[in-house]
Amino acid sequence: MSDHSASAPSAQRGLHARELTVRYGGLVANDSVTIDVEPGRVVGLIGPNGAGKTTFVDAVSGFTAAEGEITLDGARIDALPPHERRAAGLSRTWQSGELFGNLSVAENLLVAARTGGWRTLARDIFVRRRRGAGDEVAARALEVVGLDGVADTLARDLTLGQQKLVGVARALAGGAEVLLLDEPAAGLDSMESQAFAARVRSIADSGPGILLIDHDMSLVLGVCDIVTVLEFGKQIFTGTPAEARTDPTVVAAYLGAPVEASHA
Amino acid sequence: MGTFLQFVVLGLGLGSIYIGLGTGLLLVHRATGIINFAQGAMAMWGAYVFAQLRVDGRLVFPIGSIEFARRPTVAVAAVIGLVTAFVLGLVVHYLVFRPVRNAPVLAQVVVSVAVMITLQALVVLRFGANNIDVASILPEGTIHVLDVDLPTREIIMAAIMVVLAAAVWAYLRFTRAGVATRAASENERAAVLMGFSPDRLAAVAQVVAVMIGTISVMLGSSLTGLNPDNYTLLVVPALAVLLVARMESIGVVVVAALLLGAFQSVIGLLVTKSWWPVWAQSGLDQVIPFAVVMVILFVQGKRLPSRGSLQTLRLPDVAIPKLKPIPAVILLVLGVAALSLTTGTYRFGVTTSIIVMLLALSYVVITGYLGQISLAQGAFAGAAGFCLSKVTTEWGVPFPLSLILCALVATALGMLVALPAFRIRGAQLAIITIAAALAIERFVFNNYTLTPPEGNPIADATLLGLNLGVREGRDLSRMAFSLMVLVVAAILVWVFIRVASGDTGRTFLAVRANERAAASSGINVRKTKLIGFAISAFIAGIAGCLIGFSRGQLSAESFTVFAGLQVLAVAYLGGITSVGGAIVAGVLGPLGIVYVLLRGVFDLGEYYPLISGLGLILTAILNPVGIAGATREQVDWVRSKLRRGPAAGPSAETGSAAPRKEPSRV
Repeated sequence: MSDHSASAPSAQRGLHARELTVRYGGLVANDSVTIDVEPGRVVGLIGPNGAGKTTFVDAVSGFTAAEGEITLDGARIDALPPHERRAAGLSRTWQSGELFGNLSVAENLLVAARTGGWRTLARDIFVRRRRGAGDEVAARALEVVGLDGVADTLARDLTLGQQKLVGVARALAGGAEVLLLDEPAAGLDSMESQAFAARVRSIADSGPGILLIDHDMSLVLGVCDIVTVLEFGKQIFTGTPAEARTDPTVVAAYLGAPVEASHA
Repeated sequence: MGTFLQFVVLGLGLGSIYIGLGTGLLLVHRATGIINFAQGAMAMWGAYVFAQLRVDGRLVFPIGSIEFARRPTVAVAAVIGLVTAFVLGLVVHYLVFRPVRNAPVLAQVVVSVAVMITLQALVVLRFGANNIDVASILPEGTIHVLDVDLPTREIIMAAIMVVLAAAVWAYLRFTRAGVATRAASENERAAVLMGFSPDRLAAVAQVVAVMIGTISVMLGSSLTGLNPDNYTLLVVPALAVLLVARMESIGVVVVAALLLGAFQSVIGLLVTKSWWPVWAQSGLDQVIPFAVVMVILFVQGKRLPSRGSLQTLRLPDVAIPKLKPIPAVILLVLGVAALSLTTGTYRFGVTTSIIVMLLALSYVVITGYLGQISLAQGAFAGAAGFCLSKVTTEWGVPFPLSLILCALVATALGMLVALPAFRIRGAQLAIITIAAALAIERFVFNNYTLTPPEGNPIADATLLGLNLGVREGRDLSRMAFSLMVLVVAAILVWVFIRVASGDTGRTFLAVRANERAAASSGINVRKTKLIGFAISAFIAGIAGCLIGFSRGQLSAESFTVFAGLQVLAVAYLGGITSVGGAIVAGVLGPLGIVYVLLRGVFDLGEYYPLISGLGLILTAILNPVGIAGATREQVDWVRSKLRRGPAAGPSAETGSAAPRKEPSRV
């Protein structure tokens, strides 16, 4: 597993983004980036500020126009709008949380689990409701990220760290094949961060592939199977965390000192 | 060709007014980020003062007036009119717009709509609802160009307005204050760094905007006479012009304004031709601004610059409603009691209140839950009402079916109006919905081939042999009709609570809070908006049908844009996010029970539009959660005190704390 590289898309399962290019005016924010996230794997995406990490997530999840090919479990999804990518099983979180502040945590999760539509409308009007039917959905998603006792709290009343975790739970609610986590650990202290790393691992072990963006090197290098490094929109390295620590380009671009992160 | 050219030049008169209003709109938007729907109404006041001075030498104030012994000269009257405009601009800025300068877009739109209906009502009260004919202050005559005699008035007027617009352009372009104003529209701190108070700059912009608008209306009124409704609503084509200019280019405002005026004038010529279809003669001049707005929004869509777009539409919190049998029964009993204890006019007032409650509920759906600003609810109601006339008298469709059928017509219309909401939001959506409403009013409701001027009778409803008609003999407000209205309203409220407390309501609130996050959670934002507009228009359509039944016949005056805006006013006043707010709105609403009491007991009926406008201004500034919301907060506070002891305080926070964010790209 450790010598897996991005150039070997052996299985079609999971997310495969091929040569993704994003341009903002004259600026190339992503220059032919290729990343594979297979089921059960945790792939790290790191790079300095402005390297194009969030742009990549936006492009894959459909919030930014991009050239290139994106498949999820073998099916092309690059022409789909964001909500259909989500329905297909590609889920993301946001750097700034982006919870529905005016809804409770449980309702935030139910939004993702039950996305509405004309049939939902008819059901709302005509079908008798089971009391507390949504509670289990919310409870399960919260358990996975290790939050309890907050289901009825308004999302905006949570701490930033809690909001990030609810964001992850929301991305999981309703099922996901691949999770794109955009700096989910920012705002967590180092203890919480380690606990979070363990959760990311266990989520991946339960099935979904995960793309993890974070600034916390010990988190990324400790939990990921594969690491991709972006610099100025270009993919300068893909390999195992061990290789990343010693790779001269990565060290020069980002890590600074090769041993610093190895305590993880 | 000659006639064509003459009509083009005649249209420059209207175009000149659009220059005046459009330049003012642009200036205010640049300085404050607010789109001022009251621009036309504000420009009208000074022009009315000017006109009245010239007619009979009376200087009219909002309260009281002074009679001059001799009629003042045109110059003196003009100066007085402009001083009035100056003062009006200052007053409105400091008392109304300044307090909401950092408020959510919805509050800003509502405030400017409130100023608009307040001033319109004030003009009606102080100067009368009828046309005032004004002698031209420009020399009449013609010049001979290309073998055609062209009117000079319009040409001179256009020249004056172009010069004034150029002066505003130069102010923004070359003076330090103007540059700071432009900078302030991006970032208020930039203006501060340049040594200007953004607030002072905004006051200057507001005053200049009112004055240039007033000049254009003073000049223009000599072409058409002054009319409170028409001049108030001239803001709609001016808003179209503003959008064409992408809210930033005065040059484009001038060109687009003149083109639109000329185009409308030429359309006026074309519809008189024998080959022009009769059904398309009426109101086409209003369809054009609407079409222009649509095309612009679809072509430019996201690229329209807007300060408001950086901010989500922050709204009062929603307490998700629950179906509670006891309060429901109490309300129904109260309703029945109110109906059975009254007769005649008063029972009719209570019945109307129930109908207005439904209209307000349609705003609760679209604005309170979904966060979209629609100013077209009155038009949805009207469409259903006129449809009811056809369906009951010509096709003989029986009662409950006729109601549902016509409400579905309104639903279809609502879904059509939802399409622009796919791409735009906030104040721009308000522009397109008011343009749509005006187009529907002029093109459909005022169209004699569709809605005959001799009246659109509606057959009384009967159900299983039971007469549900509103009148019988000398009884002008039958109990059977009122109970039917109550039952229909109760069913709709029940449906609303089911939807609002269900999965659909939650998706609405998610879209309201954050479209981008909603899309990433798997919500189809467009479909959700479509559903919201559909439900809202359905409820409005039912209300329109009930209005139809209650009147027995309809005319275009039954569903004016202003009536729709007045309902928005009371809906916001009551509380735009709850059923309780809709009920308060119904009680306070136009022609409802409070209105009837005002008219019958206190003889204040004619002041109703003014009072509701002023009430709305105060609510939007001081108490955005509305009466019902404020009451609920107090009840919650008392409850929490009782439960947890005196330590627990009220929740002061009313807006969502969701961070400012970019609009989504869905």
